[in-house]
Amino acid sequence: MTLETSLSSGPTLRSSRSSGLIDTRSHRALRDSELLALSWLAPLLLVVAWELAAHLGWIRPQVLPAPSTVVATAWKLLANGTLFEHLGYSMLRAAIGFAIGGSIGFALGILVGFSRLAEALLDRSIQMIRAIPFLALLPLVIVWFGVDEAGKIFLVSLAVMFPIYINTVLGIRQIDLKLLELAKVTGLSLRGRITKIILPGALPSILTGVRYALAVAWLALVIAETIATTKGIGFLAMDAREFLQTNVIVLTIVIYAAIGVLADSAARALERRLLAWHPNYAKGERR
Amino acid sequence: MSLQNNAAVVVRDLHRHYGKRIVIEGLNLRIEPGEFVAMLGESGCGKTTLLRALAGLDPVDGGSIDGPAQPAVVFQEHRLLPWAPLWQNVALGMDTAEGKAKAIAALQEVGLGGRENDWPRNLSGGQAQRVALARALVREPSLLLLDEPFAALDALTRIKMHELIKDLVALHRPGVLLVTHDVDEAIALADRILVMRGGRIASTYEVAAETESGPQSLRHKLLGQLGVTLHERAA
Ligand SMILES: Nc1ncnc2c1ncn2[C@@H]1O[C@H](COP(=O)(O)OP(=O)(O)OP(=O)(O)O)[C@@H](O)[C@H]1O
Ligand SMILES: [Mg+2]
Repeated sequence: MTLETSLSSGPTLRSSRSSGLIDTRSHRALRDSELLALSWLAPLLLVVAWELAAHLGWIRPQVLPAPSTVVATAWKLLANGTLFEHLGYSMLRAAIGFAIGGSIGFALGILVGFSRLAEALLDRSIQMIRAIPFLALLPLVIVWFGVDEAGKIFLVSLAVMFPIYINTVLGIRQIDLKLLELAKVTGLSLRGRITKIILPGALPSILTGVRYALAVAWLALVIAETIATTKGIGFLAMDAREFLQTNVIVLTIVIYAAIGVLADSAARALERRLLAWHPNYAKGERR
Repeated sequence: MSLQNNAAVVVRDLHRHYGKRIVIEGLNLRIEPGEFVAMLGESGCGKTTLLRALAGLDPVDGGSIDGPAQPAVVFQEHRLLPWAPLWQNVALGMDTAEGKAKAIAALQEVGLGGRENDWPRNLSGGQAQRVALARALVREPSLLLLDEPFAALDALTRIKMHELIKDLVALHRPGVLLVTHDVDEAIALADRILVMRGGRIASTYEVAAETESGPQSLRHKLLGQLGVTLHERAA
């Protein structure tokens, strides 16, 4: 048939192009790895300088312990199991708060995203609550929930809810109306419209919301765990403050930071996986 | 909806207006199954408006459209879902089990066999438009509506697309309404060419009869209808 000859893209053209691509890619990979190594140089030098300064007595241990001391402290707390226990409590609070706040934010976002009526009824109230500075709520939360787990989980949920809500609404609203017309001419059912067009179209925005939410969940947790507690990384820090154990305090700071970074890279991995179709997240595929 | 005498679509006394601006005023049109109709007309004369009414995307303000509930449409832009692999784009709205097999076959038909799991962003403009064509034809529509589907393509790709669509229409035999600005495209593809003006069909040309004396005279007539006068080159 004429189609075969006229429409198939020439194989010679394609192969020559792809070999060209591999060439440029290997060049770029080399440079990327060099840049990666370089980007770690400054933090590494900083730690070495810090260690030296501590050893030479320029920084007093009560002010800032040497990195090696922090590592030793970590090792000690790991060995006797306390670190895992406290870490477990913190993670559990974050996870439960994230699940609750995330679900509420997502549900509200879907509702408001789809329905102008729901927007009229809900959006203003949600935005007003969002405007309240987080710390201003703290006394009220203590009055409501006491110093129990519930208050901490409430704070995390509240913090997580807004970014998920806002980005879900935004994602749904940004959907190309032309694609919804397409749904009409292909006879897509309402369910198909939601699962095949609206949710996948809103997903990039929703996942951005998830990344923000992870960051603020962690922030909320740090604040929540300063409320009287006997478990959690926050307790570890408060307790260490009583006894001026700067090594433990620094350790808790490092742990908070590390988990924040890990959560963010987990969210990024999720984006790369779920948004493989998206040019901005594509990896190892030709553009 | 009953189809009169098995026509692909029958439009009677159609009226469409946007606010006070009347766009379509008493338009009549009949397309037979397997007939390829091209529609020309100056920019803004209401071609897209007519097509959207036929597609059921817009309501009509008067008259009737007697046609299939679900005509297939190819728009000027491909309108592929960027998050769905090609076969899912083609099978959109179809039952998944048989949809996939049919979609793969349809992709084969438009010369994209083996690309069914690729993402739309990896396609060129012409390839994407071919997928849109596959998506329209896989439903085996009795009426195929094309709104300047090749306008964004380069001249060479456009000629290839003409061959492709001719073959596919000959194979599946839907009634076709092609809106275009390209007089040569209309002559190359259509059995009948309509010129739209003043909210209705101003003139009709049967291509086979008109081109007996060569395509040039029809071309001149059509351009004349569209308000373009060509200076005859001295022989
Ligand atoms: N949504 C709308 N609201 C108001 N006026 C509209 C709307 N859509 C189209 N029109 C008007 O209706 C008229 C016909 O538009 P239409 O898009 O059908 O033209 P067309 O023949 O397809 O033009 P073109 O060849 O440039 O695509 C134009 O004058 C346009 O301004
Ligand atoms: Mg138009």
